[in-house]
Amino acid sequence: MQKFIVVVCALLVIAIGASAAISAEDLAAAVKERRDLMKKTVAPAAKLGGQMIKGVVPFDGAKAAKAMNDISSVPDKYVTLFPKGTEHGAIADSEALPKVWEDFDNFKALATKLKDTSAKAAGAAEQGKGTFTAAFNDMTKVCKQCHESYREKLE
Amino acid sequence: MSRAWWWALLVLGIAGAIVFYLLTMPKTVPASELPSHTPDLANGEYMFAAGGCAECHAEPLAKCKDVKIKDELSLGGGRCLRTDFGVFHVPNISPDKETGIGNWSTLDFVNAMKHGVGPGGVHLYPAFPYASYQHMTYEDLIDLKAYLDTLPAVKHKTEPHQLTFPYNIRRAVGLWQLLYVDGKTFEPDPKASSEINRGDYLVNGPGHCGECHSSRNFLGGILKSQAFAGARNPEGKGKVPNITPHQDGLADWSAEDIAYLLETGNTPDFDVVGGLMARVQENMAKLKPEDRAAIAAYLKALPPLPDAVPRKKKGAGKEEGDEEENTEESGGEASDAASPSPDGSE
Repeated sequence: MQKFIVVVCALLVIAIGASAAISAEDLAAAVKERRDLMKKTVAPAAKLGGQMIKGVVPFDGAKAAKAMNDISSVPDKYVTLFPKGTEHGAIADSEALPKVWEDFDNFKALATKLKDTSAKAAGAAEQGKGTFTAAFNDMTKVCKQCHESYREKLE
Repeated sequence: MSRAWWWALLVLGIAGAIVFYLLTMPKTVPASELPSHTPDLANGEYMFAAGGCAECHAEPLAKCKDVKIKDELSLGGGRCLRTDFGVFHVPNISPDKETGIGNWSTLDFVNAMKHGVGPGGVHLYPAFPYASYQHMTYEDLIDLKAYLDTLPAVKHKTEPHQLTFPYNIRRAVGLWQLLYVDGKTFEPDPKASSEINRGDYLVNGPGHCGECHSSRNFLGGILKSQAFAGARNPEGKGKVPNITPHQDGLADWSAEDIAYLLETGNTPDFDVVGGLMARVQENMAKLKPEDRAAIAAYLKALPPLPDAVPRKKKGAGKEEGDEEENTEESGGEASDAASPSPDGSE
């Protein structure tokens, strides 16, 4: 029993130590990771989808589906990358308004909505351009909703 | 000083006051100017969207500076615009007779839109973009007024403007109007296509795009030589982008890209427009596709101009210069270097 208590205490100490160790670098890393997810995964995929519906590049159901699945893979991870102290103004490169933390539940709900609408768009891609266009537009509405409420765009 | 000098000063002062008075006399059109026209409510509603009236006049969601609005058909005003000239409180233009414009005649409305003069000869401040609206046709204005009359009356007394000297001298707006307002309706350019002319009308008339996208001089007059080449955000932080077909602006955008942005709010890189442009875009989305295409065609035909507001250099990582972002040192040097372009989405 004593041994057990010692182990628990040791674990607690480690846990507390670890949480206290959320250093400036960790915060900066979170900002970088979440921005990379948007810039390197979501934005190019959305751009490809958009170019297809605009007819800038020929529509390709398989490619469109892959792009939408790429987007759908992001939100779950994305919402874990908002530690306190990474709001716009508190740290370099952050575009996240304090509102993110004020109503985190809604923020998360929008992330889930992005995951769902992009998955749907992936499914729609296999059914042709018309179906895809509608589903894609539903998805980009979510982009807008979220950015409008929670982002301060850096120049 | 001798008595003669005092007399001279007095005479000069009186003469100056008379000249000021004469120069700032409100200019209006007489009722006889108005064509006989049966209002077309559908077109009025269309002009309401094209003119973005609700963007400023709808009640803000919570705080007076909120860009989000409660209901675009509830025009009780109350939004505050914090500008270099002071704080403007956007008035109620709902048809409420006491606190709105329910008592305005169509002629009153036309004079406000074309000459910036309210009933009783009151000069209106050009935060109300009549320098653009003045180009609208009488028919469109008559239709718009008729449509506004159908909207719900909202009883809401808005605050008076809080402006700094000398901008708080309302009468002096008359001088500004001498420079920038003549009430002349848009005339199509016979050398341009009908599409470009339609775009010209929508952009420079109801759309009043240049009110934000063009820079102004110290009087608040738009600099024609830098039209649409971007400006400081009139309400504070950041800037409004250059929308001429210059490399600093929309050179890389096709006309379809511009029309698509107006329809959906998405840039070619699939970022989303924000701020007040989000409201503008939502209204542009209500226009007919051919009108969005006309706006795009007109913008693409503008003379390309470099940014009127110097932009900070991107990429090099050395030229900092944005007060907001660089005040914080956060151990973020590494992340600065890793993401040299602060332009992406988040």
